[in-house]
Amino acid sequence: MPSTDEELVARSRGGDLDSFNQLVLRWERPIYALAYRVIGREEDARDVAQETFLRAFRALKGFKGQAKFSSWLYRIALNLCRDWMRRERRTPVAQAPEGIDIIELAGETNPSESIEDLVSRHELGRAVAKAMSHLPEEQRTAIILKEYHGLTFREIADLLDCPLSTVKTRLYQGLTVLRRQLREAGVESTFGK
Amino acid sequence: MTGRLTRQDDTHMCDSKELLVGFLYGELDPSEKRTFEVHLGTCAECRDELAALRMTRGQIALWTPPVPDLDFHVARRAAAPPPAPRFRIAPAWGLAAAAVLVMALATAIANVEVRYGHDGLVVRTGWQRAADPTASAPRGGEPNATPVDWKAQADHLDRRLRDLERAMSRNAGSVVPAAAASGLSDAQVLQRVREMLSQSETRQQRAVAARVAEITRDFDAQRRVDLAAIDQGMARLQNTSGAEVKQYRDLIQRMYRATSYQQK
Repeated sequence: MPSTDEELVARSRGGDLDSFNQLVLRWERPIYALAYRVIGREEDARDVAQETFLRAFRALKGFKGQAKFSSWLYRIALNLCRDWMRRERRTPVAQAPEGIDIIELAGETNPSESIEDLVSRHELGRAVAKAMSHLPEEQRTAIILKEYHGLTFREIADLLDCPLSTVKTRLYQGLTVLRRQLREAGVESTFGK
Repeated sequence: MTGRLTRQDDTHMCDSKELLVGFLYGELDPSEKRTFEVHLGTCAECRDELAALRMTRGQIALWTPPVPDLDFHVARRAAAPPPAPRFRIAPAWGLAAAAVLVMALATAIANVEVRYGHDGLVVRTGWQRAADPTASAPRGGEPNATPVDWKAQADHLDRRLRDLERAMSRNAGSVVPAAAASGLSDAQVLQRVREMLSQSETRQQRAVAARVAEITRDFDAQRRVDLAAIDQGMARLQNTSGAEVKQYRDLIQRMYRATSYQQK
């Protein structure tokens, strides 16, 4: 049975590097995905993710378990993303390849998905990425944490240091804007419907 | 709350987007959820909005990030080696090493040879003997020595000058000798050359003697340093191995005496 985050954190705080690397392995993809969706650049997202774990490792002694380890990691990553955006003075970029590599896509699909559905799904994903990049940072971050990372309203509020009601408002406003932009982009229905 | 809502309640439900979002994400408590479900049964506008937001959620779920090969891991940096002590004699083996050093020093000093006789000045040490034999041309049947044979060189040069003199006298009349052009006789030129050679020889002898004295001083200073270090090491050993220390001390003293004797 795999160890919980709390167990691995406790062992890591005792100097067990392997335990910390297990935490890294467990959380590197979610943290990278968070950074990628917030700042929109692959290489920079990778740098942010790597720096997140380095900072977490250095600050591990100060982590008393007052929050979930994952929430703590998210907070570090989001702070780094904000630093990046401030430093670069830019809004996130909807980074998408120009063309669609059918062979590459075919490797990602499940057997029941047709190639037409696959292409539609990717085009829709690009449209969503573009619409998301136009959202204000607060709304975008709230939607990312809720939709892609499954955090509760309370966890998001704690992470963003704002009231619960503010989180709900940001989510509603963000979803409403996205809905309008996707409709304007010609994306009328959910893929597969 | 009951299952029936007043018009005021309905208006509040429509205005409260927090309830809508809470219902959308399934984060209403059970009583709020039941109340909102009742409202949805009577409010088409909220039903439509809820459906639209659900569809938007379905659409944004399709945005997937690339899947890079991350493989992050934290590695401990190799600990820096502790700074090496400037000079430290460890017990037993340290003293043995020091003894070997002293012996090597003594051997080197013992092999120094400074000789000045009819062959000229000869300087030779054990290290020079081990050096590349092609570094200096061997002379006088001593292939590994480095003699400075000034007299032989002067004689050789003298012979060479005489040969040149004879050759010039055979060709007299056809070539004007340089000495004649400068107003000096041949004998005067030869005398002058011999004087210059003699002066140069004297300077070289002084330089070599000074160098030998310098090497001897360096050896002596290094020997003192080594002996002091050995004494320090012995002092550290006093509480641990008295008999062993005495044995090494005797050994070192014997070598010291031998070294002094060979120097004399």
